[in-house]
Amino acid sequence: MQRRAFLGDLIQGAVAAATLGAVVPDVVAAPGVRRYLRPPGALAEEDFTAQCIHCGQCAEICPNRCIRYFGLENGLASVDTPYIIPREQACILCMKCGEVCPSGAIQPVPREMEAILDKVHMGTARVDKRICLSWQGKTCGVCYRACPLPDIAIRVGRLEQPHVLDGCVGCGICERSCIQIPQAIRIIPDRRGTAMS
Amino acid sequence: MLRHLNKLRLATLTLIFAALILLPFLSIYQSYRAAYAYDLLAPTEQRLYDAMEWLTESFTNDPAEDLDAIKGTTWSASIFDLKLSDPLAVVGQIAAGARVYSPFLLSALIPIILTVLLGRFFCGWVCPATLLYEINSALSRWLRALGLRSPTRHFDLRFKYGVLAVGLLLSVATGSIFFAIIYPPAIIGRELYYAIALGGFGAGTVFFALTLLFDLLVARRGFCRYLCPGGALYSLLGRYRLLRIARKVEQCNDCTKCDVVCEFGLLPMRDGFGQECNNCTACMAVCPTDALAFRIALTDLPAQGAGHLGRTHLRHGAAHTPGEN
Repeated sequence: MQRRAFLGDLIQGAVAAATLGAVVPDVVAAPGVRRYLRPPGALAEEDFTAQCIHCGQCAEICPNRCIRYFGLENGLASVDTPYIIPREQACILCMKCGEVCPSGAIQPVPREMEAILDKVHMGTARVDKRICLSWQGKTCGVCYRACPLPDIAIRVGRLEQPHVLDGCVGCGICERSCIQIPQAIRIIPDRRGTAMS
Repeated sequence: MLRHLNKLRLATLTLIFAALILLPFLSIYQSYRAAYAYDLLAPTEQRLYDAMEWLTESFTNDPAEDLDAIKGTTWSASIFDLKLSDPLAVVGQIAAGARVYSPFLLSALIPIILTVLLGRFFCGWVCPATLLYEINSALSRWLRALGLRSPTRHFDLRFKYGVLAVGLLLSVATGSIFFAIIYPPAIIGRELYYAIALGGFGAGTVFFALTLLFDLLVARRGFCRYLCPGGALYSLLGRYRLLRIARKVEQCNDCTKCDVVCEFGLLPMRDGFGQECNNCTACMAVCPTDALAFRIALTDLPAQGAGHLGRTHLRHGAAHTPGEN
């Protein structure tokens, strides 16, 4: 009797696990759900996956080690292509990856302000005022001080309240540096990318 | 002299493989330098830092910048501003994106010219997988000594051209270069980087292990002979190569050592080289009478018949007509 009950539990558990297993990956791993950035100078998403030859040199040369590679989680075309999760490690806009990229998937952009503002479109920062310390009345301003393009990409108002400007290229240093958990400022990826020269 | 070329080749392969292991470590070291992070490192990381500093300090005072000079793998590399890419990468990219990116095409120019002149030399002299495949072949010989069946299946050598064609079609269909996940020279460099710098192997390792098993249990060097899309492309490019191995029939004694040693199953003793030969010189190294040498010509010699030092020729003398084998 006991054994039968145990078997029953076992089968029930197996069925539950199978159902969960069937449902959960679709929700978690559906392409486009993950919020990731492509390296600075990357082409528009579709052109990027067509041009990239998956050689790995962009990560190898990245001094900040922010570039990772997809497995199967972002779809077949994205396997072994580079991405950046800014909260984990953000791009410092050193522009070395575009220089080393042989395939043109990451376009070479000189490390100069005008060129970066003109060509790099990784994304745009967005502030969540409900979480942001400064917008909640406690002066912070860390994102502004971390930004490599202060007063071009972001400016601060009263109580260091951050306002994102049009110049934001989406490097993600602000998101990386935000002292709130979860972060109050996030990069919304821009999939238009850089135009091919 | 020529028989030592095989040792030079094995040394080259080992050096390239060692470089593929060293480069990820150097890359990690560079980021430690860039961050001035020595005091924050764990003891194992500090050992890595010290080792890399010892290796590089006589070459550079600014490793964080200067070590950028050499990056990449055998799939695509940049060496002091010179970019070199595998022709298969260029062909695959053109198929995936339906456009030609000329800087990338240029980076494959030197390999293409060398292949047209030297044939499939990449397969024998550069490919990091070749080292592992040759060790694998040696392993299968040891396994045979232990009584296991040796891999003796033969397939059609033209099968790999089919793989190349299907790979191109899949690149067009998926809009992403397909070869990067099934081509060992691309897999090995990338997976070594993943394992060393990113802490974990990707799916490529599983695929590569399967090819090793295929070679070990089914067909000797089977992947390179029958399946490799890069080998197929190189064979086509090097079909009318200038540098060929040829047999001097006057010096040959019909010992068949060259036929046995050839990893690609070609028959040097019967003048059977063709576009599959990658000039690896393994046959030269085993020839007891130095009958195999390089020759500059667009075509192989026609079948020359029994070697003049061999029993067949000595018995029948000059009456033995060439090609009667």
